[in-house]
Amino acid sequence: MKARLRSYAGLMLVPALSILLALLVASVLIIASGLVGTEKKVNLLLPLIAYRSLIVGAFGNFKGIANMVVAAAPLMLTGLAVGVGLKAGLFNIGATGQVLSGGLAAALIGMQVADAPVLIAIPVAMLGGMLAGALAGFIPGFLKAFTGAHEVVTTIMLNALIQLIVSGLVNDVFRAPGFSFARTAPVGSAELTGLGNTTLHLGVIFALVCIPLSYWLLWRTTVGFEIRAVGANPTAAFYAGMKPRRMMILTMSLCGAFAGLAGAIEVLRLGYYPAVFGTGIGFDGITVALLGQSNPIGIMLSALLLGAMRAGAPLMQIQARVPVEIIDVIQGIILIFLAAEIVVRKIFRLRTAGVGAGELQTITRTYGEKVVG
Amino acid sequence: MKKLYIVVVALIAASFVLSACGTAAPPAADELKIGVVTDVGQLEDKSFNQASYEGGKAAAEKLGATFDVIVTQNISDYKQNIQTFVDQGFDVIITVGFLIGTDTAIAAKENPDVKFIGVDQNICVDEQGAPDATFTCAGDAATLLPNYQGILFAEEQAGYLAGIVAGSISKTGTIGSVAGTSLPAVVAYIAGYEAGAKSVNPDIKTLTQEVNPDPAKGFNDPATGKAIAQQFIAQGADVLFQVAGLTGQGVLEAACDAGIYGIGVDVDQVQTLPNLSKCIVTSAEKKLKDTIQAVAESAATDEFKAGEVFYNAASEPPAIGLSPYHDLESVITPEIQAKLDDAFAKMKSGELKPPRK
Repeated sequence: MKARLRSYAGLMLVPALSILLALLVASVLIIASGLVGTEKKVNLLLPLIAYRSLIVGAFGNFKGIANMVVAAAPLMLTGLAVGVGLKAGLFNIGATGQVLSGGLAAALIGMQVADAPVLIAIPVAMLGGMLAGALAGFIPGFLKAFTGAHEVVTTIMLNALIQLIVSGLVNDVFRAPGFSFARTAPVGSAELTGLGNTTLHLGVIFALVCIPLSYWLLWRTTVGFEIRAVGANPTAAFYAGMKPRRMMILTMSLCGAFAGLAGAIEVLRLGYYPAVFGTGIGFDGITVALLGQSNPIGIMLSALLLGAMRAGAPLMQIQARVPVEIIDVIQGIILIFLAAEIVVRKIFRLRTAGVGAGELQTITRTYGEKVVG
Repeated sequence: MKKLYIVVVALIAASFVLSACGTAAPPAADELKIGVVTDVGQLEDKSFNQASYEGGKAAAEKLGATFDVIVTQNISDYKQNIQTFVDQGFDVIITVGFLIGTDTAIAAKENPDVKFIGVDQNICVDEQGAPDATFTCAGDAATLLPNYQGILFAEEQAGYLAGIVAGSISKTGTIGSVAGTSLPAVVAYIAGYEAGAKSVNPDIKTLTQEVNPDPAKGFNDPATGKAIAQQFIAQGADVLFQVAGLTGQGVLEAACDAGIYGIGVDVDQVQTLPNLSKCIVTSAEKKLKDTIQAVAESAATDEFKAGEVFYNAASEPPAIGLSPYHDLESVITPEIQAKLDDAFAKMKSGELKPPRK
């Protein structure tokens, strides 16, 4: 038990220190932003006011907490879409495209079930989103398994391709008449409306269920064991009688399903698919997965952290008058420190531990490896 | 190593203590508060977001009100951003762009004591005053939501004036226009522009192209803007009108490179792009800042108008017009100016109505 706790502490050390360093670096930028802002003076307390208003905005009242959870829910799913892939030794950069295809599918299916009872319409539309996302994940998985095409290359290309296809479909084929801008028809009862006076919606439950589910899948089932074995060493896994190719396809499809569900939640929350549906949740998933060290619990916590920053951002802009872009900057710096783990370890003079290195290996590995089996 | 940890812990502890005393005292409860929720994008967009910010700020300064802005990053954040201002006790909330209109209408219904000003927003509500997804617009917005005004501009009138300039100064008889995304306002500008050009030269050839149906790309892609402009120039165009936000910078740059004329949009673009002043002959302006400021000031009085309000040549102050010609004053001959003055007067009186589509 004690050893296990220690290993968790080891897992959390670098992410925690990365967050701390990022906040410190961002402090300098926040102070600098005061120079060009409305006040035009150096205020050394500005970072503290900003961080405090972020915290108050996210945790100050129930509405804030609801906003945080609502912002975190899709990030948990895209975090899983990247994190589960990393466990199998696959770096899924395609979450963006998978989110878009899941979102469009959910909007189109939502239109069909717009008059059905809410408890049927919502799950059906979400399932459609998951399947579309899974398909978008299946393609790079299949290409990797049978042609050796590296998933980083194929998923990046698919992102661009899916974006254009989806935008074309919304602008021409599925464009609803009567609106001044390109969008699909309303999804009616499939819309995820806020409960009471908050933004909290049913989709959050779907995201929260996926966390223990993926934990159980990875560590309590044979499939999960095979996924992790293939990730650790595909050749060894093959000689142990596993089927690495099948596992890769399965894992990428699963990752796509998570991302597709994230897209479905975001779109059903709006109630329609707008042509302008640009979203950062796909790429933010990479930050979430690395910050969470590909561990479902870690992913949940990381998503909540990023969600808290999004929920606190409006209040930060009013109380501290710090530009909202600072949130993206903080996220970016966290990612830099996570990727340059060695820098963090140097600054805090930590030993280079084996934990957490697996993900980085996957990310930095060059492509061209041949898959056996 | 241990020392370092102690320092870090001490820093964190200090930060919480300091942040507790570092916050300013909350302003008096009866003070007027004006807030702006921008459209997705950046505050300094040299267009709607910036003009709404500046107009709101100018009104706040005149009224002695508190002023703040929340920049929207994602279209699903509109509601949360408006709600933050409501929760903080703001009295006047200016929301920017047509996409935020639905959430503004909902907020206006929920908070009858708060005044909402929607820049570039149609208001379409059902009999209960809720946003109408079917676009029947059966409800009368002005009576159902007396605390909400949608500001709209007669872009076609500004475009018409720009068209008179283009048609008059073109030597090749070919003029071009670049649309970021074919939104109603953009279409109106270009329809007015082409009608204006034809009013002075019935044989003029007009080229036009939409950059991208997705506004996030259509208005943010200077490279594509430049490429389209170069194509038009190759086809003989010698005046280019850009209605494409940041994309339009590329259009105007291409015009400068080729030594032909460019016409800016929304604001005086010689001010926003001073390095291109040698080829921007004028800009088709919506007087965004002045209009928004006037409406924000009216929100503090009983003169606040509800419902959709169209601002045009007849508005006071005039809501559309052409920018000063700056370096290119000599290009606009007295005859051209006379035609412009005549058209403006006719639009003001309602005699001339350029097409919106």
